[in-house]
Amino acid sequence: MEKEAPPKPLELSRYCVPFTPFRGKLEEVTLCVVSTAGVREKRDKPFDTEGDSTYRVISGEANGSDLTYDDTHYDHACADRDINCIFPIDRLRELATEQRIAGLAERHFSMGFSQALRDLRETTIPRLAREVDRARPGAVLLTGG
Amino acid sequence: MQRAIEMLGIPTVLVTVEPEETVQARPPRALCPRGFVAGHSLGRPNDAALQKRILTDALGLLTGEPRPGEVIERDYTSAPAQG
Repeated sequence: MEKEAPPKPLELSRYCVPFTPFRGKLEEVTLCVVSTAGVREKRDKPFDTEGDSTYRVISGEANGSDLTYDDTHYDHACADRDINCIFPIDRLRELATEQRIAGLAERHFSMGFSQALRDLRETTIPRLAREVDRARPGAVLLTGG
Repeated sequence: MQRAIEMLGIPTVLVTVEPEETVQARPPRALCPRGFVAGHSLGRPNDAALQKRILTDALGLLTGEPRPGEVIERDYTSAPAQG
């Protein structure tokens, strides 16, 4: 039987580092990307750049050309030319083609800009973590802007 | 976010361009590619070779010696420009 996720995550002292050892080989890992750079599929609803503590799901099938971002807090000169500078989806797919990783997860995730720290901590992050848990990738790559 | 995922039993690695801030959050694994800033933390635009090098180094932290709580800084500014 599947266990329900607890409503509140276990809280650790900030001095304590949660650490899950990586077992196996990179060539066998399915990778999920979680970003805080406001990345989304072009067809998806834009983030509110003034503050938005929701997140978007990005299909594992998406290419860089399917993606865009909503942000007013970092320099966009590079991401406008190549979204892989902030969300390296095409590069990871190339690594999979080269059999240096096994592949990409069925879903990736991105949050937008938000200073609503309590909302992030109590709602967004636990929710997103549950989605990642359901996807059960071998490892997660986190990127900022 | 990284800590929450790691607590689920899923290993994570973070690429950051703000090492001073990141180290305060005590990340399980983090790579800081020196020479880049927010907006291109994964390398220069259209420079697939450099982007893949940074990614490979980040993923290498998964299999390397555990250094939880640290931010590993590496310099990529001397990499030849492409694209």
